[in-house]
Amino acid sequence: MANSKLYKGSLVTIILKLLNESDKMYGYEITQKVKELTKGELKITEGALYPALHKLEAEGLLEVEVKKVDNRLRKYYKLTEKGNKETVSKLQELQDYIKTMQVLVNPKLSLE
Amino acid sequence: MNISKDQIEDLYKFTRQHFVEHFDLQTELVDHLANDIETIWVEQPNLSYIEARDKAFKKFGIFGFMDVVSQRQKAMGKRYNKYLWQEFKQWVTFPKLLITLSIFFGFYTLLSFSFASYVLGITFGLIFIWCLFKSILLKRQFKRRKTVSKKKWMLEEIIFKQAGVSGLILISQFPSLFRFLDELFLSQVMIIVWSSTITLFIIWMYVSFEYLPKKAEDLLKETYPEFSL
Repeated sequence: MANSKLYKGSLVTIILKLLNESDKMYGYEITQKVKELTKGELKITEGALYPALHKLEAEGLLEVEVKKVDNRLRKYYKLTEKGNKETVSKLQELQDYIKTMQVLVNPKLSLE
Repeated sequence: MNISKDQIEDLYKFTRQHFVEHFDLQTELVDHLANDIETIWVEQPNLSYIEARDKAFKKFGIFGFMDVVSQRQKAMGKRYNKYLWQEFKQWVTFPKLLITLSIFFGFYTLLSFSFASYVLGITFGLIFIWCLFKSILLKRQFKRRKTVSKKKWMLEEIIFKQAGVSGLILISQFPSLFRFLDELFLSQVMIIVWSSTITLFIIWMYVSFEYLPKKAEDLLKETYPEFSL
């Protein structure tokens, strides 16, 4: 699962969902949180995470805050109002997708 | 074990060596690498700083930071276009619309005469010279800013170095278009088309070369909270 391409389409939804559950997060924290929640099953790669965060920021779904932590600057991301609305719609989209996939891969189960 | 101040400085150097030129992105990557190095040290305390740093960097894949940099540039370009569009919109709504209409009707009148092709030639020539002059001026200004602050910000580079470049390329194609204008009088439709094109082009160039660079400080503060730190 670690290198699976399956999660790539859901990366934005994962980021939005995590930020929705906490006030603000920084890049490294997001990678660690996903690792922790999925018990290491899913690893967000650095090369995919930052482009996704920067895209969401440019689209106005995220806003940033910078703080000095220890001896370095840390950039935090948090959801904007537009980002909150997008989270709801993206989560719904993902749930619908999971249901559809369920029908395809396990038709018996989905009919019950 | 925590990362030292000198090692943070080394990480900035390391990102620069791996083609991350802009301070905004360097800062984010330095913090990421520092966090990962500290995590690696918890699991493998015997690793040296260099070994841990290289291990953390490997996670970015074979292309290193290149993908992050190019995607960041794309996102920042989008942001710049948003600022450009926000200001441009002001010129097609009241009260700035009055200035836009004055420019349009000015050209509409001038282009109705038999010397229309000269008006077009001189206008585009003047716009081209002004844009070229401003472009050189802004590049110098950017260089000075960089020397003073010793930092380079991605949005700042777009505002000062790439401003209106697409416009300059477009305008440089004008001589080839000009060859087709051999008629003395332009048709009514062509007068409207040319007057609108010139008006919109002037506004676009003004916003890129004059307005946004003047507002650069505010835009940079808005984009980068760390800009004023």
